[in-house]
Amino acid sequence: MKIVIDGKVCEAERGEYLLTVARREGIRIPTLCHNDALPGLASCRLCIVEVVEKGWHKVVTSCVYPVSAEIEVFTASEKILRMRKTLIMLLAARAPENETIGKLMQEYGLEKPDRFKKENSSDCILCGLCASACEKIGAGAISTVHRGVTKKIATPFDDPAADCIGCAACASICPTGAIKVQDKSGTRQIWNKAFELLICPDCGKPVVTREQAEYLRKQMQGNPIEYSGDGTVRCERCKKAAAADRFRTAFL
Amino acid sequence: MTLSSGMQHRSPDRVAVTGRILEGYPKEQRYTLAMLQDIQKEFQFIPRESMELIADHLELPLGKIYSLATFYKALSLQPKGKHVIKICDGTACHIRSSQMLANELYTLLKIRPGETTGDGQFSVELVNCLGACAIAPVVVIDETFYGKVTPAKLQEIIAQYGDAPEQSERSGGVAHD
Repeated sequence: MKIVIDGKVCEAERGEYLLTVARREGIRIPTLCHNDALPGLASCRLCIVEVVEKGWHKVVTSCVYPVSAEIEVFTASEKILRMRKTLIMLLAARAPENETIGKLMQEYGLEKPDRFKKENSSDCILCGLCASACEKIGAGAISTVHRGVTKKIATPFDDPAADCIGCAACASICPTGAIKVQDKSGTRQIWNKAFELLICPDCGKPVVTREQAEYLRKQMQGNPIEYSGDGTVRCERCKKAAAADRFRTAFL
Repeated sequence: MTLSSGMQHRSPDRVAVTGRILEGYPKEQRYTLAMLQDIQKEFQFIPRESMELIADHLELPLGKIYSLATFYKALSLQPKGKHVIKICDGTACHIRSSQMLANELYTLLKIRPGETTGDGQFSVELVNCLGACAIAPVVVIDETFYGKVTPAKLQEIIAQYGDAPEQSERSGGVAHD
């Protein structure tokens, strides 16, 4: 079906999310909590747009709004800009020092808010993307804990996470870089826990944590290609090189 | 998932009782909250070992259970008193001086909302609207509703529970739903 986004006629399939359609057409809608691999959180609210359907206007979060009719969409109407500015200010009140939020404030011409002073400011906007990623991977080591003003992302009882495999997916997916991971002299520190980093046998680069390798091995049973036979884990680069070598010896 | 850490302090009683509660439910995630409610009722709080047992039972990460247990006000990670006194602080009760009732309870029991008496008999909670605004201010002890409560009346009500500390917390209930 045809929909119109900011005056541009776009082809969309029924049920497709508005954000997906807009991005495909090169129309930028700001997001923080959206990740193509983990859609459907809709917690940062930045992707709001105005939808006009049969003359009715409504504000929707485009990341979870499925296209079901021939609608007209405004991604930056006066109303949307006003609302989005408020949302950014609220996020800025939570994470005033954060770089990503700072850039958004700059883009929307906003000053740092002086209301709602937070005693312990953090970089976390509590979108929950890290917890979804952790769950999707299968570890489920972190989750949202408590609610309201005391809500946070944490491991159970704030202990060193028993279920954590040290993959740091949470840190790499975090839109505001709020999760601290430290790789230093063969050890990774994350969620109050230290992990041994396995070294690539060919180039000596740290690749994954021991727990991560074991977890992968368990998940990928019958797919030994990922690993060299001696139980070590090669880095992506050396794995490709080894595969090329095998190919060469087999055919030349 | 893997067995969780912190098992060294497991109480055999709690493990056995929790096990019996879990046996009553199918191994499905949707029963998690019901299990937690039963455990709260049994122990007046959610012990760590119970959460670990649920996680193992349902093959869920402990974080999932912990998230749920910390989200709901009806569940507590700290042991609650034998009798839980809830002071309604909804709009109607607030206007009709629910705060005075909290102060009176402090005089009587020396505890503030969120705290438990040293002998483990009483806990006080300030809760949101209980839906009984017509009889504001409302106090609920265990499952019994008391309406139009005054500080003087509160003293009498508490005495009923204080005089019989051995009484089961369910015997006083009249307002089961």
